[in-house]
Amino acid sequence: MPLNRTVLVVNDHDAGRYSTVRILRRAGMEVAEAATGAEALRMIEAQPPALVVLDVNLPDMSGVDICRQLKAGGARQPIMVLQVSATNVATKDRVASLDAGADSYLVDPMEPEELVAVARALLRLREAEATARAHVAERDMLLREVNHRVKNGLQLVSSILSLQRRRLSDPQILTAFDQAITRVRAIAAIHERLYRSEHPMTVDMKSYLTDLGADMAVAGRETAAEAVIEVRSEPIELSADDAVPIGVIVNELVTNALKHAHPIAAPTRITVTFSPKSDGSHELSVADNGVSTPSAAENADGLGTMLIKAMVGQIDGEYQTAREASGYRATVTLRRRLDMR
Amino acid sequence: MILRVLIVEDEAILALDLEGLVEDAGHTVVAIAASADQAVRAAEKTRPDLAFMDIRLAQGSSGIEAAQILRERWDVPCIFISANLDPATRAAVAALEPLGFINKPFHPRRVQEALAAAASRLSKA
Repeated sequence: MPLNRTVLVVNDHDAGRYSTVRILRRAGMEVAEAATGAEALRMIEAQPPALVVLDVNLPDMSGVDICRQLKAGGARQPIMVLQVSATNVATKDRVASLDAGADSYLVDPMEPEELVAVARALLRLREAEATARAHVAERDMLLREVNHRVKNGLQLVSSILSLQRRRLSDPQILTAFDQAITRVRAIAAIHERLYRSEHPMTVDMKSYLTDLGADMAVAGRETAAEAVIEVRSEPIELSADDAVPIGVIVNELVTNALKHAHPIAAPTRITVTFSPKSDGSHELSVADNGVSTPSAAENADGLGTMLIKAMVGQIDGEYQTAREASGYRATVTLRRRLDMR
Repeated sequence: MILRVLIVEDEAILALDLEGLVEDAGHTVVAIAASADQAVRAAEKTRPDLAFMDIRLAQGSSGIEAAQILRERWDVPCIFISANLDPATRAAVAALEPLGFINKPFHPRRVQEALAAAASRLSKA
């Protein structure tokens, strides 16, 4: 997108505005002008300029407020602001302008050479900022593309396993394939979120775990009795490096609970909790309302336990299981500061 | 109600997986198409009851455009199955009264549920 290079001069004093416009035009700049704050905002909305030379004292609103609006507006291309004032020359007024986001400040009457030099410097800065923004946008787009491809690749793996499964009949082997497909999907869903997320480096664990729980409740209906999976989590953004192990752990623990909880009265209730502790650590737990013993649940699937321990080790966690009055609970404590880039 | 289903998906293996899921649910796959053009030609020839429609198709073609043509010419509704079902995409296809949305990576059960819901809606229509 070509950069718009227009300079907008905002000043209610006709003579001052006229002189500023003339100086900038003579320096070869394309200049537009506005006499009030409202007019300026309308023009900026219609066609965002590159630079606004903004008088602090306008009849209808404060130039400092306009500046704040422009800088907070999240315009697609940056708008530079050069604040100008004849009267508010006290240091604190200049500081107020700069704090409101102004990129520079000049006192009227301005030296024509200085005005032109500052305007040029700000236009150069803006070009650099626009280039930096474009690079960030491009990087995000590439990251999204990578996430999209990884996710598609994992969907392919899942589909190949599913096609293979359809040609089998041994119930034990079918179960093994179902588990493999579920495991791949738990990882694929992380990459799906990285792709969809506003921040292509992080995943919101609350929404990920909620969807994983819903998916697993659906899958559970095929094999086990009716199950209710509740996810309690704070919105926690994690990098893929931490999100994948946690996804795999939750997948295994919930699969175990679906299979082995055997509550006295249906349905199986599974609660997944992921929350920060006051000391900076995080706690992940999966609890059910079943009557199975920890040893029975742990020995039930050798691979599941192996995966849980491997993933817990990878994120420097501690793994504990406990038989509570209400059911079985597995807890992973993460002492390390989680990576939340 | 046994549905005659058109699958529009440019990843051949995913298309096969979907075909298997549709057949397992007792319905018939009348054709598999990888691009918007192929989808329109297949729909003209086979007149399906519904189409599973991927949004990003082969040769950069758009599943949304294909879905529009299917809907306008032969009143064929779609279940959109895609990796990019953001709110903007959902809004873009809302006018086509989709029979459902399935996110990729999909769970087989979601495909079966969408088919069951479509069968009950189409049999009432």
